[in-house]
Amino acid sequence: MAASQSTRRRAIILLILSSIILITLDLQNSSSVSSLRSVFGVVFRPVESTSRVVTRPISNAWHGIFDYNDVLDENDRLREKVAQQEGATIAAAASVRLAQELLALNGLPTLAGINAVTTQVIGDSPTNFAQTVEINQGSESGIRVGMPVLNAAGLVGKITKVYGDRAIVMLITDPDFALSIKVVNSPRPAMTTTTIARSNSATPSPVVPLEPDQILDSSVSTTTTTTTTTIAGFTPSVTTLPATPSGVSSITVPLASDLAVRETGVIEGRGPGRQPTVRFIDNSLRFGDIKVGVPIVTAGGSRSLSPPDILVGSVSRVVERLGSAGPLLEIELVADLTNLSFLRVLLYQPITEKVTP
Amino acid sequence: MIRLLTFISSRWTRLVLVLLIIQSLQTTLFSDLRPFGVAAQTVLLFVVVAGSLYGSAIGALTGLIAGMMFDMILPTPVGLSSLTLGLAGATAGLLIYFFNEPTWWMRLIAVAVASVLGEIYFPMAQSVVGLDGWLELRVIKVALIVAICNLIISPLAIVVCRWTLSERKTAV
Repeated sequence: MAASQSTRRRAIILLILSSIILITLDLQNSSSVSSLRSVFGVVFRPVESTSRVVTRPISNAWHGIFDYNDVLDENDRLREKVAQQEGATIAAAASVRLAQELLALNGLPTLAGINAVTTQVIGDSPTNFAQTVEINQGSESGIRVGMPVLNAAGLVGKITKVYGDRAIVMLITDPDFALSIKVVNSPRPAMTTTTIARSNSATPSPVVPLEPDQILDSSVSTTTTTTTTTIAGFTPSVTTLPATPSGVSSITVPLASDLAVRETGVIEGRGPGRQPTVRFIDNSLRFGDIKVGVPIVTAGGSRSLSPPDILVGSVSRVVERLGSAGPLLEIELVADLTNLSFLRVLLYQPITEKVTP
Repeated sequence: MIRLLTFISSRWTRLVLVLLIIQSLQTTLFSDLRPFGVAAQTVLLFVVVAGSLYGSAIGALTGLIAGMMFDMILPTPVGLSSLTLGLAGATAGLLIYFFNEPTWWMRLIAVAVASVLGEIYFPMAQSVVGLDGWLELRVIKVALIVAICNLIISPLAIVVCRWTLSERKTAV
């Protein structure tokens, strides 16, 4: 009895010491711990797959009982939303294509030029203290740690662990998540334009994307076409300017000071049920006051894990802070993280991390 | 050879195999069914039941082994849940230690209290290693829901735990 108690005590001490050593090694990103996880995964995955198959009927029954009404309501809401957005989508697609062509023409990186892997979410986090999901693609599909993950709406998170045929995605709301972003602010409520008139043959009307409810003032001058509008960073709908008189075309050139101003910051998660925040925004005069609804996109750059201009969300609240700290922004994400099904992993690696063969 | 057979048929080997199944249920069924947005913690339940049935030493040992296995599939540093579950198992054993002949409802209370504490230990340990942001008021809600869920499933867990950790004489 005494011998078994002493063996037990030794085993406990040994396991505690092993745990402390493993925590230290894992926090240093040791490869030995990663291989240990992989080996365990080889044993555990078949058991997990069997459990998934066996417990699926129970899971379905649970959702059928408790979530049926919610699903019906959601279905109605989504139908209405789809109807509203069908027209806007076509216009937005045209704008996006135009922007991508312009970026490609100028040799700038675009999302269209980055390969992506479509994956399915196969599991949530088993614990209540990690905001992660598991996807069914891994290193065999070219996925690496740090790659950005999107759904149809926008950024969802980033890859934090990769195995052969699966990977773990850390969601934006996880307190350990941080990524550099840009706040696309409109410095003034109205945009003044300079009009250059030149002789030309009859031209078709140019198409300018506009948000109807955000147009503050629109006027047409008698001599040349002048449009005064406010265009927010992203414009889902389209309006067509009146045709110009035959032989005269006009090019509207906005003043440099009237273009949308971008300021970089860092988005950080705050846990489930709480909106992520953006810090380190410079409180400069040119940047102006940040308004609720201003879009947030990824900043990109040679060291950023994400390419530029992936839509993250919009500002839902601005918390002014004293001193040089700059405002704190609360962000309403465009992606619904509570209901993830299919995701897209961008096979993007920053230039600084690319390994040349 | 005899030693090997004794080891294979020991309760600790049985424990590892049972924990594999419990863990697979945790990552599939119980991470999907989330009453009030909180996942029931079956691994924690098994550990605290072991502690309440067999004392703090067995509870701690079960927790350390279960935690080490659970760590292999969690995104948090390996060893973190091992320590917290070990502590939860020991806590459950200590809670029951003060009763001379604990009745079934005393054990259930110990399971519920140890579940609450065990669920709070984890974000505390996360904060200690620098993973901030989890130790806030939400933890209390999570711990209470986990305790209620564990209380509901505990009769089944007691049966499984008794079968797993009972010492049997091998006919070798």
